Amino acid sequence: MSALSLPKRCSALARPRALLLAALAAAAAIVPLFLDPQGYWVRVLTLTLIFAALGQAWNIVGGLANQISLGHAAYFGVGAYASTILLINFGLSPWIGLFVGMALAVVVALVLSVPTFRLKGHYFALATLAAGEALRVIANSWQGVTGGPVGLSVPFMPDSFWMMSYGAPRPFYWIALAALVLVTLVFWWIKSSALGYRLRAVKENEQAAEVVGVNTFRAKLWASLVSAAATAAIGVVYVQFTYFFDPDAVFGVATVSVRLALVAIVGGIGTVIGPVVGALVVVPLEELVNAALQGQVAGLSAFVYGAILIAVILVEPRGLVALFGRLRRGLGRRPGGAGEAGR
Amino acid sequence: MSLLEVTDASVRFGGLTAVDGLGFSVEAGEIVGLIGPNGAGKTTTFNMLVGLARAAEGTIRLDGRPLAGLRPHSIAALGMTKTFQNVSLFMESSVLDNVVTGALLREPLAEAKASARRVLERVGLAGVAERPAADLSFPERARVEIARGLATRPKILLLDEVMAALTPAEMEGIVALVRQLRDEGITFVLIEHHMRAVMTLSDRILVLSFGRKIAEGRPEEVARDPKVIEAYLGREWAAEGAGPGQARP
Repeated sequence: MSALSLPKRCSALARPRALLLAALAAAAAIVPLFLDPQGYWVRVLTLTLIFAALGQAWNIVGGLANQISLGHAAYFGVGAYASTILLINFGLSPWIGLFVGMALAVVVALVLSVPTFRLKGHYFALATLAAGEALRVIANSWQGVTGGPVGLSVPFMPDSFWMMSYGAPRPFYWIALAALVLVTLVFWWIKSSALGYRLRAVKENEQAAEVVGVNTFRAKLWASLVSAAATAAIGVVYVQFTYFFDPDAVFGVATVSVRLALVAIVGGIGTVIGPVVGALVVVPLEELVNAALQGQVAGLSAFVYGAILIAVILVEPRGLVALFGRLRRGLGRRPGGAGEAGR
Repeated sequence: MSLLEVTDASVRFGGLTAVDGLGFSVEAGEIVGLIGPNGAGKTTTFNMLVGLARAAEGTIRLDGRPLAGLRPHSIAALGMTKTFQNVSLFMESSVLDNVVTGALLREPLAEAKASARRVLERVGLAGVAERPAADLSFPERARVEIARGLATRPKILLLDEVMAALTPAEMEGIVALVRQLRDEGITFVLIEHHMRAVMTLSDRILVLSFGRKIAEGRPEEVARDPKVIEAYLGREWAAEGAGPGQARP
């Protein structure tokens, strides 16, 4: 489905990869038919897809332009709160709330971009981190609207697509998969568009990009706005799926901001498949470690989880996708000598 | 009206005045050489012209339009860009993509790709278009810098030491290319340490020392100017007798 709608400008080389990704998406779509619809694994896989989509949204600005944002929780939480508040107070469909959330996230991204884009590297990361935290503090203290630290519950409703409400997790699996496919297509489209060229130039040498005519501020701004809107939309799906959230759950640094950046970084920053691979490792790994080490010394599971992620980054800083590529080339060389496969 | 007019321009870094009350103009279709000892402020002058360094005082006009406060991409859009002395290509991108990025200033992607290929053909890099820039030799990278600049369709292109580390044959190639491009209407200012190249190529030469212009004129006039010989050419010329020197030691 996805391969057919890709723009013509995709090179001939990209086509087999597009077909492969479409086949992967189709395979992913039938997986839950073989799992218990109420079960633990559908839930874990749905969360995995949600974080894959979030990682892909982050990848638009973090991967293509190398703007390492640690504040994407700001957009995620704005989407979550906007749709839920509209649903609770006005009975508005989360699908409409989703667009309101996206619009608000775009406004937040505009406000954050002007001061933070002057900053480079770690300073940019720290400034975005602070911005996310600021919104968490606001959500905690603005009790009249957000419910404060108590959090908000999505009102219980009968199963309905229009209200994005289901008792079982399985439909959310498909919604999350659709979100992932959609964000991936947007990422791919931007990557191969003029904006993609400009973002790559920003990533590799911002000064040289300016001198040869790239409006670096505008390029980064567009990427940020798209990334923010996508993140907010996925935030809506997330809270409909989890029913309940508080400021820490949607504006948290570790729970959202760092985790979604981690998904893209562990998988392979700037690559199409990276966030998917990253989410498939990061989310289930956390679950497995938690399950295996439950009842052990407090904090041990977080320690083990962190140690594994650090190991991955130490072995291959460009992420798992690059690591697989290295392994494949390493294996291919021994028997045949050739077998060099491009990225 | 001159194409480029610089009046009383100064650039300061903290307490250091890198460009000090500089004034000069460049006519359309000229090739102007900018020479001077290391640290004379040549590259800073280029950075000031393209908007990477802010002129604390003075005015810079391109086609009569003041450039104060404009960011480099706007100055590129008005028709002035530069190559980088320490070669600042997009190393992980292909040669073609480097040039496409410049061409995107004037046209949409499909056309930009076609123009970029034409420019690469022009500078003799069509054969390496798909290779990552990082794979290229230093002289090839300098050509990519020129191609990326040309792709922005500049009125005036500032070349910062594009002939460094070139063999004489490669240098001849660049000299011929610059002449052709000038005949097609592009104006050049070039910083170059290789005396023979800059003397043969330039219509006019500006000499900087400690951020100030100490001489200006036709190559042979400048070469005879005692101030220039003292500040810059002195040792080299004294050692070699007649004629502009060979490459730097």
